Formats: sequence, structure tokens, C-alpha cells
Amino acid sequence: MSSFFKSKTVQLTIMILSFLAVFVPYFIDVPAMTTFSTELITIAAIVSAFTLLLALYSQFRRGYTFIQKRKRGWMFKAYMMISIVLMLVFALFGQETGPYNWVMYAIITPLSSVNYSILVFYMASTGARAFRARNTRALLLLITGFIVLFYQAPLTGAFFPQITPVALYFTGTFVAAVAKMFLISVTVGAIVFGMRVLMGKEPTILGFTKEEAS
Amino acid sequence: MTEQKTEKRSIYRMLVEYDRRIIYLFIFVLILAPLMQPFSLPIQVSPGTMTYYNVLNGLKKDDVVLVVFDTEFSGYMEIQSGILASIKMMFEHEVKVAIAVAHPEATGIPQLVFDQLKGVMDQHHYIYGQNYINLGYIFPNSASVASTAQDFHSIVRQDAYGRSIEGTFLDNVNTWKDWTLISVYTTGIQSGSIINHYGLRGTPIIVNCIGVMISTQQPYLSSGIYKALLESMRGGAELEYLTSSPGPGLTAMNSFTLGHYMLIIAIILGNIGYFGYRSEMSRKAKEER
Repeated sequence: MSSFFKSKTVQLTIMILSFLAVFVPYFIDVPAMTTFSTELITIAAIVSAFTLLLALYSQFRRGYTFIQKRKRGWMFKAYMMISIVLMLVFALFGQETGPYNWVMYAIITPLSSVNYSILVFYMASTGARAFRARNTRALLLLITGFIVLFYQAPLTGAFFPQITPVALYFTGTFVAAVAKMFLISVTVGAIVFGMRVLMGKEPTILGFTKEEAS
Repeated sequence: MTEQKTEKRSIYRMLVEYDRRIIYLFIFVLILAPLMQPFSLPIQVSPGTMTYYNVLNGLKKDDVVLVVFDTEFSGYMEIQSGILASIKMMFEHEVKVAIAVAHPEATGIPQLVFDQLKGVMDQHHYIYGQNYINLGYIFPNSASVASTAQDFHSIVRQDAYGRSIEGTFLDNVNTWKDWTLISVYTTGIQSGSIINHYGLRGTPIIVNCIGVMISTQQPYLSSGIYKALLESMRGGAELEYLTSSPGPGLTAMNSFTLGHYMLIIAIILGNIGYFGYRSEMSRKAKEER
């Protein structure tokens, strides 16, 4: 029986049927199919939640090996594991008050904010050093950058409102075109990959190596 | 004359090879000074913020809005002005608000928002469960978002505090069709799933995103999936200005403006130094020949 479920063909068939069960109700309204699809998605959501436990297990297993072998950075692993255990214990006392809440607001919040806001120094320094009008293209980039930067500072628009349509032209045409191109490429890539998976050409998704699959 | 030339040369060279810590220092002072000694600078409201404001202003009493905190705490610092001003507008329009979280770090944000908007909530007699609810971390992945879009109660049965959501205004919410609006505050964690499972089916979505995401979000706006896009802290400040409720956004706008101008000045000085130093070098090479 186990060999039956381990078979690539069986797994692929289950995957195709699951895909169709979720995909088709988007286009054809069949109540029974919609109900089945909803159930299937709910099961997927619950199973996904359990993957957190799997992640926790593998983190601890990996961390334990690191610490045992005293590999470089083992102290950070120990710190991470202790933090996970502490937060799990703290959460038992409630999340709205108590130690969990204190750690969230007094440690995680400021650290997370500092981590993000410190980037401004690097971005400003890099921007100031890297933007050089070395040739015509760089000059055009620089001028466009200036217009957008001026527009981004709200004071400019208050005294010089003519900058708004110019900056919006750049963001609405060149930037939007590039962003759309990027999104379309990613989407087409995802569709192609999905088709390859459904056709059994990406066996690693099912846990098979290329040799096992062939 | 020779001494003057040497001095000029050293200035160009200095502009090219200055210590980056000088920039850090200027940025630090320009950000900190306006926060310590606030002053008022005029701002202009961008057309995008105006559209966002109009969408929120079009909400009617008892409309049901799903607010999604799809952000880490670091991102919250950038978009908190938009979050506060938007939710304040929702409370002022007496709409029913359900808050969902898509990142563990954001689980603390709803309480911060409620604390800061306590005045307006009391003024409009907001009661937990009847007018607003905090659902907590219900969007950890795409499957959970998809599940709530098709059958909300199949996966969400408790609020963030472990209490049953039965008997709350969410009894009337079953699928994606039942939300009047979804208001997403995002750094891009589950925003794609929300677009796929709600936006593409037709639920109106408005978004407030961080600065680096603006360009990637524009296509969703132009294609009509987003009804409006509020651009980072600047958009939040403009919304505060429109709603006459000064907050963290307007306070930060002075630093924001001065920081941008400083960067422009630094780039110009860098270019003056670069070209000055280059011509100086070529002149020197000619003289040596």
C-alpha cells in the first residue's frame, strides 16, 4: 500500500486532481465543486499551520548539531533556541500582558525599527557617492532622480506645483512599464513552472530526485 | 596664486573622497532636529492620496471593512501615519472594522492603534465585537487567505484573545463578497495572496505600502485591482493633513523633506567634486607632458 502512495504517477494524479478542484471553480460555478474546493483549501491551510512545528523541529535539530560541534556562530544558534523556548513559555501567560507583551514592545519593536531605519544612512551615503553624471545616460538618470526626489519632498510641491505632473509622468510611464514587465515575467514564469510540475517534469517538487523519477 | 590653486584642488578632492560619516552626521542632525524642535512646513497633497481619501470618505455606516496588517514592526514605523489616519476615518464613518494580521511581529499593532484612537472610538461608541474586532494572526500563508475568501468561518472561529467570533458582526461575513472594502497596510508579505483571492474576484482593495514597494504596486492600481494606493509615510502625512488630524506623519515630514534636500545637495556636491577633480587631473597631466 505504501509503495502505491510512493508512486510518482499516483502523487502526480492527486496533485492534478487537487489543482483542478481548486482552479475550475474560479471559472465555472458548480456549488458541489466550490464546497469541495473550500474544504480542500481549509485542509491545506491547517496542514500549512502544522509546518510551523516541522520548522521548529528542524531548527532545533540543526541548532543542536551546531552547538554540539561548536561550529562558528554556535552562540547565535543557542541564543535563538533559548529565545524560541522563552517566547513559547511567555506566551502561556497571555499575549496581551506579561512577559510576552514586554518582549514584543520593549525588545522586538525597537530592534526591528532600528534595523530598518538604519538603512537610511547607507542609502544616503551610497546615493551621494554613486550618482555621477559620467555620460549622457547617467546624466538623464540623475535629472530624473532629482525630479522624483524633489517631488517626494512634500515642501517642493507646495511652492513649485509644476513638478507634480512631471514626476507623475515618470512614475506613470517608465516606472509603471518596468514594474508591469517584471510582474508579467514573474507570472508567466510561474505559469510555465506550474505546467511543468503538472506534467511531471519537476519531480523534485514531489520529493523525487531526477534519477528516481526517470 | 599657486597656493590658491592647491586649495581649490583640495576642495574638489575632498568633495570626492569625503568621509561617509559626514553624511551620516548630517542625516542624523536633519532627522533629529525637526523632531526635537517641531516646526510647520507647507505640504502638497498628491492626486493618489486624494483618491485614497475619497474611497475612505465614501464608506457608509455599518459597511464592513477588513483591515490587514501585512507588515513587520519595522514597516509599521513607516506607514503608521497612514494606518492611524485611515482607521480614524473608518471609525468616524462608523464602519465595522475587523483587523487581521499577516506577520507575527504585527500582532502587537492592533492594540497600539486602539490605544491611540481611543478618543474617536469612545466618541462614536465603538463596542468590541459589535463594531470592531481583532482577529489576530490569521493570514500566515496563501492557503489561509484563500480559505477565508471562500468560507471565512471554516478557518476563523476565534479572535486574537481566544474568544469565539460567534455573535459578532462577522456572523454576516462568509465569503469575499461580504466585505465592503479591504484596507491593506503592507510591506509585501501576503499582499499577493490578498490580490489573488480577494482582489481578482472583485473585493475592493486599498493599500498603504512602504516606499520601496510603490513602483511594484502601481500596476495593480492602473489595472483597477486597487481602488487607491497610499504611498508610504508621505501619503500618510497627506492623509493626516486632509483629515485635519496631525500625527506622526506630519511630524516626520519636516525631517523627510530636509533629508531629501540634503541628499540632492550631497549628490550635486559629489558631482562638482568629481568633475572638478577630473579636470584638475587632466590639467596636471597636460602640464607634466
